[in-house]
Amino acid sequence: MEFNIDDLPVLFPYPRIYPEQYAYMVDLKKTLDAGGNCVLEMPSGTGKTVTLLSLIVAYQQYYPSHRKLIYCSRTMSEIEKALVELQALMKFRAQRLGYEEEFRGLGLTSRKNLCLHPSVKREKSGNVVDARCRSLTAGFVKEKKEKGEDVDVCVYHDNLDLLEPHNLVPNGVWTLDGLLRYGEQHKQCPYFTARRMMQYCNVIIYSYHYLLDPKIAERVSKDLSKDCIVVFDEAHNIDNVCIESLSTDITEDSLRKATRGAQNLENRISEMRDSDQQKLQDEYEKLVQGLRGADDGRQEDSFMANPTLPDDLLKEAVPGNIRRAEHFVAFLRRFIEYLKTRMKVRQVISETPPSFLAHLKEHTFIEKKPLRFCAERLTSLARTLELTNIEDYQPLQEVATFATLVATYEKGFLLILEPYESDTAEVPNPVLHFTCLDAAIAIKPVFDRFSSVIITSGTISPLEMYPKMLDFLTVVQESYSMTLARRSFLPMIVTRGSDQASISTSFQIRNEPSVVRNYGSLLTEFAKITPDGMVVFFPSYLYMESIISMWQGMGILDEVWKYKLILVETPDAQETSLALETYRTACCNGRGAVLLCVARGKVSEGIDFDHQYGRTVLCIGVPFQYTESRILKARLEFLRETYRIRENDFLSFDAMRHAAQCLGRVLRGKDDYGLMVLADRRFQKKRVQLPKWINQALLDADVNLSTDMAVSAARRFLKTMAQPFRAKDQEGISTWSMADLKRHQQKLDEDRIKELQAHEARGSNMPPRGVGNGRDSDYEMDDDDEAELMALHHTS
Amino acid sequence: MSRRAPPGARTGAAGSGSTSSSALAAINTEDMCPVCKTIRYLNKDMEFLINPECYHSMCSNCVNRLFNDGPNQCPYAGCHRTLRRKGFRSAFFGDLAVEREVDIRRRVAAVFNQAEDDFETLRDYNNYLQMVEDLTFDLVSGTDAQRRAAEATLQQWEAEHKADIERNRKAGREADEQSRRRLAAEREAARLRRIEALREAEEEKRERARSREEELDSLAHGEAGAAGGAQRVQLKKRGQAVASRAVEAAVKTDVAAADVGRLSIRGLKEKKKAPPPEGPYDPFGGLDFVPSRYKLRPELTHPGIEKYKVDPAHITGGYNFDEYTARAMFEAFAGLGVFIEDEKEVGIGLSAGDVATMSAGIAAVGDNKMELA
Repeated sequence: MEFNIDDLPVLFPYPRIYPEQYAYMVDLKKTLDAGGNCVLEMPSGTGKTVTLLSLIVAYQQYYPSHRKLIYCSRTMSEIEKALVELQALMKFRAQRLGYEEEFRGLGLTSRKNLCLHPSVKREKSGNVVDARCRSLTAGFVKEKKEKGEDVDVCVYHDNLDLLEPHNLVPNGVWTLDGLLRYGEQHKQCPYFTARRMMQYCNVIIYSYHYLLDPKIAERVSKDLSKDCIVVFDEAHNIDNVCIESLSTDITEDSLRKATRGAQNLENRISEMRDSDQQKLQDEYEKLVQGLRGADDGRQEDSFMANPTLPDDLLKEAVPGNIRRAEHFVAFLRRFIEYLKTRMKVRQVISETPPSFLAHLKEHTFIEKKPLRFCAERLTSLARTLELTNIEDYQPLQEVATFATLVATYEKGFLLILEPYESDTAEVPNPVLHFTCLDAAIAIKPVFDRFSSVIITSGTISPLEMYPKMLDFLTVVQESYSMTLARRSFLPMIVTRGSDQASISTSFQIRNEPSVVRNYGSLLTEFAKITPDGMVVFFPSYLYMESIISMWQGMGILDEVWKYKLILVETPDAQETSLALETYRTACCNGRGAVLLCVARGKVSEGIDFDHQYGRTVLCIGVPFQYTESRILKARLEFLRETYRIRENDFLSFDAMRHAAQCLGRVLRGKDDYGLMVLADRRFQKKRVQLPKWINQALLDADVNLSTDMAVSAARRFLKTMAQPFRAKDQEGISTWSMADLKRHQQKLDEDRIKELQAHEARGSNMPPRGVGNGRDSDYEMDDDDEAELMALHHTS
Repeated sequence: MSRRAPPGARTGAAGSGSTSSSALAAINTEDMCPVCKTIRYLNKDMEFLINPECYHSMCSNCVNRLFNDGPNQCPYAGCHRTLRRKGFRSAFFGDLAVEREVDIRRRVAAVFNQAEDDFETLRDYNNYLQMVEDLTFDLVSGTDAQRRAAEATLQQWEAEHKADIERNRKAGREADEQSRRRLAAEREAARLRRIEALREAEEEKRERARSREEELDSLAHGEAGAAGGAQRVQLKKRGQAVASRAVEAAVKTDVAAADVGRLSIRGLKEKKKAPPPEGPYDPFGGLDFVPSRYKLRPELTHPGIEKYKVDPAHITGGYNFDEYTARAMFEAFAGLGVFIEDEKEVGIGLSAGDVATMSAGIAAVGDNKMELA
């Protein structure tokens, strides 16, 4: 369908649109017009991706600035899905407009997924693929080849040089699969095609890391222009991604390997001094001049990556005492030995970067400044030495990165040395955690560079937490409710067992037999009434294991077994995927199954339980983080000190976003239905932290139930769900045709006019409230409709 | 601190490890004293010491045994240095080569302690740093001659720059002291804030419990109306507490206060649109000379000019036929959209001069604009 938002014509590739999709587009456009950031929460399964894409593509094509879209998603399958959506959208647009637009959309993923080289692509590990690819495609390899030396090259990569650099693939949207096929046909490397074409694309779809991880972002996303529109989809975990991208763990093993790496470097240097003195001398001259290899150091095939550095630092010359290669290697060695000595301490130490630096200087005479240049200098050296087997130097590079970070940032980082793995362990296994505490550091370059950043997800409540944590300002923050023609999901909070004893996984009572038995009977009851699949989430693996063994002793599992197959998630990815496969089979063939999994595990993120794969999701306990972790404690303290977020607020926010994520797994569309059961006394108070669309559907009567009451409510719900439900019933309510949309727009306009008239009549000089007001009233209308419909269902 | 013996690079005792029996070979050299061959299994608190004379490590028992009666020769084969009991200490680093290097660096750093501010340019400072590094390298791993030369330079420098060195040393100490004090102050402030936050949370909790009790009491006394009132009072109280705390926080914190109340109102333009990047200087102040009434094709041909295009007299000197056609077209259309009545009313009109500039402008921008058309 085709409609206008203000003056912008939008082509939407489906004949009907959901009301929340329209509202989403309106807000999105407002953000783009204002050139600001926004946080938007839209219920899962309401077509967020296609809404985003169709509005932004329309915006790109209509306005002359042609702002590029950078769409970041989490996993490869999500990237592929978004690309397919985009392809369909562009096909629809071409059909409607009658001509193909000048448009290019590309996805980017790792070399491992995009490689075509016959032997390299067979490698299992991503790192090995990267390393081998580099050894075939690096600049100096080509130089050698031209000089007539016998070196291996990748024909797929070299073919790219024969093509026009800005026209490696024809216009159109290329899915990852499509790109692979095209690459195979034309014998050109899909990975480098995508990388090099990024500047000439209208839409780029790739993983968060290409923008957030400073080590990668520097190389991949450097050339993107300032007015790009950046979208982070499924962004509820974005703060953790930011933090992980800047944190490193150093172990004794990695230090040992780093020492070996330094030794190798030294050997290479002396070799080179004998054979090719000139190269070392050239590098040295360059460093003396203070000429940074800004152009050649940052190209796509550069070997090692550097973490973010302030720009002024990049322009400065490398300090004199690490200019010469052998000086630098000795410098690295001293640093590594120092770290080794620190690791021998047998008590927990946590210290800030300044105090670490002070201690370091006292014992090794390493100053802060050369330390800062460590990563940069290592990259330069690696280039000069023409290292190809880069995986040998990985640990060394980690150490160098750590050195640079520790010397660059005074605040927002903490060093924690944990000599033992757990409190009870006897054998020391020291780990030096260098943790980033401030999510804003990694994402700051993104906000600084791009004027419009859109953060969106199905569950991103409470919205105000994200601007606070990531330190940015928003133009629009909005959470959309879900318009439904029938009440298709039933959230409930169960606080008591059938015996009226309150249930909770709080630490004091979690292992009491009565609580465990009550949870068991809850599981059994819901296993009885739920058709097909049922998913149960526990707060942690540890608790899951203990409760399962207790259930086994109580005979509860035998009871559940009668109704459902029982499958368990484990930390091992292979086992879990096997369990998932079995689960799906059991759901499809009517046996039914229960999947027991963990709220922070792999299953809770990104695996959908649509339709028969999930009719009930049971969340046992509030999924709090393990609060005894020192890293978490440090982060909490930092949040309190810097952003004024209280510990409990953050913990509760974090627990509820995971709980919401679990609940969202079960409902993947408007024709889907499911039960959402939150089983813990403490959920009662945390209700407001649920996303708006779940909270709205949660009736006051359903927030304090005992097991038997919950079961009877669920029975009633499932009975109504069993009534036939046609697509026609939804029309005009949860799906709008063109006419409905027109009516809605007209109503909004009328509202606005009325508002203005009233405003003029009053003669006050308050500014008009404009669209916002119209939209509020729109929601009220929907609520009323919903209430009416629900009343109908209850009476029927 | 260290429990390790050196890996044997500079020990000279590396041979003894390999010649020992196969059973002993299994034992990590780190856990065996190279002198008395005691292993850690037999002596749990074995500690290794070194003497910076020769950096040969041995266990503390050996040190006591050999050197208690005064100076003695190092027990390592081939090492003829005389060591004293006093000189022994435990090594900071596992790698004794690094230990030695750092000791040398300590000496060098005590002498060469110039700061960046002492130099005119960064380049000079960097050259100085490299000079120091080279010297250190000579001391650490140079040949005998190099070492002697470096040693001489070091002493010479020390003698010449005595005052400078002393001054810099003092300055460095002061800076260290200052940064240490600053860190301590920050830590203390954080601790105080933490205590304050805890106290506040505690108070809030107590307040809540108390008001709840009051409420229950009033209910127990059967004052039905009072319950609502109590609740209102409680709410008000809480509001006051929050307000007063907010005021306190605002007074106490300077920067962070802005973060607390950062509430965002939907639709409110908080972030102004970034100003558009300034383009290159435009001498016509944005005036556009793209013709609106007609379109110029790059290869506009006319039989009249065709023959001149191949005439060498006309194609020399950078003359462009497109400019000619542009001018011809401009002259043909010039003044078509101008109504003299209107111009008179408004009071503006193109003077002859304006027209001239305009055509000049077309000639100037003609090249690139015409491609656009």
